[in-house]
Amino acid sequence: MSIKEHTQGYLFILPALLFLVVILGFPAVAAVLQSFNLMWVPDPSFSTKSYVRLLGDVEFRTSVLNTVIFVTSTVGMHLLIGLGVALLLNMEIKNKHFFRVVAILPWTVPDVIGGLIWRFMFDTLPGIVNAVLLKVGLVADPIDWLGNPALAFPCVIFAEVWRGYPYVMLILLAGLQAIPKELYEAAEIDGSSKFTSFFFITLPNLKFMIIIATILDIIWECRLFGMVYSMTGGGPGYSSQVLSLLTYKHYFIFFNSPYAGAIAVVLALIMLFISIPYLRMTMRQEL
Amino acid sequence: MNKKALFWLLIYLALAFMVLFNLVPFFWMATSSLKTDYEVIDYPATIIPREITFGAYTRMWTQENFIQYFKNSVIVSISTAAISSLVGALAAYGFSRFAFRGKSLIMTLFLASQMIPGVLLVGPYFKMLAYVELYDTLLGLILSQTTITLPFSIWMLKGYIDTVPIEIDQAAMVDGASRTRIFSTVVLPNIMPGLVATIIFAFLLSWGDLLWALCLISDTSKQTMTLGITQLVGQFRVQWSEIMAATVIATIVPATLYLMLQNFLVKGFTEGAVKQ
Repeated sequence: MSIKEHTQGYLFILPALLFLVVILGFPAVAAVLQSFNLMWVPDPSFSTKSYVRLLGDVEFRTSVLNTVIFVTSTVGMHLLIGLGVALLLNMEIKNKHFFRVVAILPWTVPDVIGGLIWRFMFDTLPGIVNAVLLKVGLVADPIDWLGNPALAFPCVIFAEVWRGYPYVMLILLAGLQAIPKELYEAAEIDGSSKFTSFFFITLPNLKFMIIIATILDIIWECRLFGMVYSMTGGGPGYSSQVLSLLTYKHYFIFFNSPYAGAIAVVLALIMLFISIPYLRMTMRQEL
Repeated sequence: MNKKALFWLLIYLALAFMVLFNLVPFFWMATSSLKTDYEVIDYPATIIPREITFGAYTRMWTQENFIQYFKNSVIVSISTAAISSLVGALAAYGFSRFAFRGKSLIMTLFLASQMIPGVLLVGPYFKMLAYVELYDTLLGLILSQTTITLPFSIWMLKGYIDTVPIEIDQAAMVDGASRTRIFSTVVLPNIMPGLVATIIFAFLLSWGDLLWALCLISDTSKQTMTLGITQLVGQFRVQWSEIMAATVIATIVPATLYLMLQNFLVKGFTEGAVKQ
């Protein structure tokens, strides 16, 4: 006696489906309802007042802008450095194994720990950044990197560029290794230089991987929380505030759930919108 | 110098620069953790420690809480990785080998669920856990971290299972093996490298988490490493040598895991997560 085939299929995905509904679907729906004042509030009634309040909130506007700046600059740098290092590692170099290990190391550091390391590196007095700059003679007085509203946020971006690029590099390296060597050999016979080969063979063949890496990295950077939390806490003032941290602040420090929910919904919508091409590409492959 | 030699010189210079850029923070973390309490706050900072001491490490380890943080992180990360790979492998097998109504919708939902930011879920999660009396427990934290790791695990594992020829399943079925038997004795052994990569990936995600632990744990004895270490900094006097010693310990675990299994991970990670 056997259970029907398609029923068996359901049975295999059932545990995951339960997880999806209970620990992902329910809280996600609850957050949306909450943001419209419909759930877990003393007097539930549909209201868009949280969203209206967002429009006039300067810290929210700064956070949106910061999140956009943060994501575009880190992802842009990740792609540049990631592609550069992937190209280097794809060459016939000595000690390839060693270089690959070193290239990936920053990514193994948890983001909150990375934030702490860089916070100490940028520390005004005992930090290594100022020590080196003073020694080389680039500055005469130590710079208050993380205490200066104009500098703190770029410092966080720099730290995340360091930590996050190996992820992009790995995806691009896999893409490079999949390009058939014969293409380059044929181009060389036809007299094309390394430079033209890069633009006419490497980049077109890598296009798909670059798109995947970009979207996945955007998703990671949009939800980055630990590094900002441990490095600046969003400060000084709210100069380095981002949407994920702002949501946390309204949920767990100000205990204003509907408002926090509204901020999170905005962040989720931004992320969903950006990931639509990725969702479509992946699903098209699957079906 | 000929053109070719110059080219390779530039390549190795670029590699040297990459090594420097990647390793300076590790160097700074390690040397700071070995400095004395006075030297670590010296201005300007010494780049090579004048005097080396393991004092910061002994103090961290003898603080009872720190060992507890470490244990908690190990328990939470291993459990999260185990649950998400087990549940994920079952689902991945279901998606890979069966046709059923609503399959593409459910798969899209799993894929899209990766795009939901943790901060959207964590507020309602706090209320849900309080309701079922799992707030401030490791179990509650493990369940919540599975929200991040499960969708990834399913997609990674499905990628690996797709590479196992379906003929192997069919051959086993002809021999009268049940689906569960095929799953555990035929498919799983064939995707071992991918399974290991998925487990490690989930472990690393869970180990590095701060958000969920910060929002769902308040009892000091249940805090994880990342949370415990950030709380140390919150206090009014920052003892950097101790914090750097703690970050060394918090980094060594994932870094070692990675180095031990890097061939698995690089291959598995790139093949499963992104297919061409």
